[in-house]
Amino acid sequence: MSAKSTTATGTSATRFPRISFWRTVVAIIFAAGLYSMYARFALGFKLATNLTDPQPWGLWVGLGTLCGVGLSAGGFAIAAAVYLLGLDRYRPILRTSVLISFLGYCTVCVGMLYELGIPWRIWHPIVMWNRHSVLFEVSWCVMLYTTVLALEFSPSLVEKLPWVRVRELYLRWHHSILIALVLAGTLLSSMHQSFLGGLYLITKGRLDPLWYSPYLTTMFYLSAIPAGLAVTIMAIYLCVRSLNARVDMNILSDVSRVIAPLLAIYGVFRVVDLINRDATQYLWMWREATGLFWLEIALLVVVPLVLLNLKKVRENPMYLYWTCAVIVMGFMTNRLNVSITALQTSSAAYYVPKWTEFAASLATITAAAVAFRYAVIYLDILPKNPPRERWLVPSAPAQA
Amino acid sequence: MATTRAILVDITKCIGCRSCEQACKQIHGFPMDTEAKLSPTALTIVEERGDRFVRRMCMHCQEPACASACLVGALKKTAAGPVTYDGSKCIGCRYCLVACPFSVPRYEWTKLVPYVTKCDMCAGRQAKGQAPACVEACPVQASIVGNRDDILEEAERRILNDSKYVKHIYGSEEAGGTSVFFISDVPFEKLGFAAAPKQAMPLLTASALGDGPTVILVGGALLSGLYWITQRRALVALAEAREKSIKERN
Repeated sequence: MSAKSTTATGTSATRFPRISFWRTVVAIIFAAGLYSMYARFALGFKLATNLTDPQPWGLWVGLGTLCGVGLSAGGFAIAAAVYLLGLDRYRPILRTSVLISFLGYCTVCVGMLYELGIPWRIWHPIVMWNRHSVLFEVSWCVMLYTTVLALEFSPSLVEKLPWVRVRELYLRWHHSILIALVLAGTLLSSMHQSFLGGLYLITKGRLDPLWYSPYLTTMFYLSAIPAGLAVTIMAIYLCVRSLNARVDMNILSDVSRVIAPLLAIYGVFRVVDLINRDATQYLWMWREATGLFWLEIALLVVVPLVLLNLKKVRENPMYLYWTCAVIVMGFMTNRLNVSITALQTSSAAYYVPKWTEFAASLATITAAAVAFRYAVIYLDILPKNPPRERWLVPSAPAQA
Repeated sequence: MATTRAILVDITKCIGCRSCEQACKQIHGFPMDTEAKLSPTALTIVEERGDRFVRRMCMHCQEPACASACLVGALKKTAAGPVTYDGSKCIGCRYCLVACPFSVPRYEWTKLVPYVTKCDMCAGRQAKGQAPACVEACPVQASIVGNRDDILEEAERRILNDSKYVKHIYGSEEAGGTSVFFISDVPFEKLGFAAAPKQAMPLLTASALGDGPTVILVGGALLSGLYWITQRRALVALAEAREKSIKERN
């Protein structure tokens, strides 16, 4: 990230962008992504994926949809905190978290096109209703909430328009509907996060007992919020480190103080649920699923709780960044376990995603990351430090 | 639902001649080679399990998981019994494959415009008063078709009158009841039958979906209330500050 930003701001006489490490990486990912796109749409599922009848949903659902949506939960959480609960101290990171969520949902929508067998019928759920289907509710929540996020994010773009009149009219209108938007967004995304867990309620008897629970909905909801906040912290840390953004690091520390109890609640909920369902016997069995369960609990609950309990970690942005990275990895392990590994014993399928599946997902995520970077550079997402070289008088360190 | 049709497969009678397989392939115009597993070109197959032959096909649940899962309603339970698939609605999400407790639906992975495939109990033939092709082709009446109530009665009569049968009709309770039944003299779990939950599958998601309106109402009220408090606090703080400044001026 740092190498890339220095080349971007460097004043060079050449017209071509300089070749840096990260640019090369991004170029390779996009090239692989392009091939995957060709494979998926011109060659078909058989050649582009390792999906089979016993494993009809793979990486694109597990990573693209379940993780994509879950890790985008920061936007609604911060928006609700600022506008509905009046927690004004989080306002400086509001735009960043909304932008992350918006881009996250965009990747989910793009991923959907890869995922659907007949993607040009993606609009069918709008006119063909089956209200007994969890997926129907999920699809409507995605459509509505992506719209809400686009509207929530829109001022950042509109305020850059050169036409004063349009700008004023739009922003006034936006201001008048903002609270309604935030309220709708909070409800929609709460339902949506839960319903993604609800998708797997129908797999009773096939999803491993360590994961299958009538409260899958609640558990998906409870885990999404801390994970979404963790992503927000990571993104802001990177902006500060390499995009010259000016953020009071105490805010991140405050957010981490919210994450810890949320993770603890989630952990307790999982344990109580296992005891209630008499599934504790599976905790000590020597099998792959149990190992993956412990990996997930360690990364998502135990390690972050221990780390966040240390003052040194909470107050050091870099330590905080890596703690959040652990949370995100734990979260991804959970979603991939539910959607892939915990179903494999019963389906007798052994699914390892094809490289094109990885490449397609990675390229979509990378595109979102690149879009995020340019949005932070060119829009007023985060306040920025003035560039050093043009700053003649040495200034006092910024106090936000 | 008295006219709901159902199929009974008596595993003790099946001789493994695969006439049902062939008839199914013929009527659908599929290539005639024998396949080991259900596939887009094999909607029913005969599996060898020890010295028994077990037919696999869609169970045509009374309350199908696939139909409840399908977000566009491409899969439907018809009043006549079959669970049918309307390809023109399908968007290819494959949630039906995830949802089916018997792992029946198949996907055309090799095609560029892929559809879901599964047995439809020859709904078209049955509407014309004909038996499903597989049943018609069976030379030993191992598969029979009839009204669901009569078929269940017949199955019960057989397992009660002959001690060799396992005292269970597979499909009578599985997934809340199906329209395809199996009776056997070998325990079903040894023949590779899925231990499906003994409840109607859509019930599993219905409770979560039923919570939706509650979440919206209660959550909406709660969040509005919180916003009102936030708003009010800000107003009070503003008024207090104003009062204070007026006092100071005086």
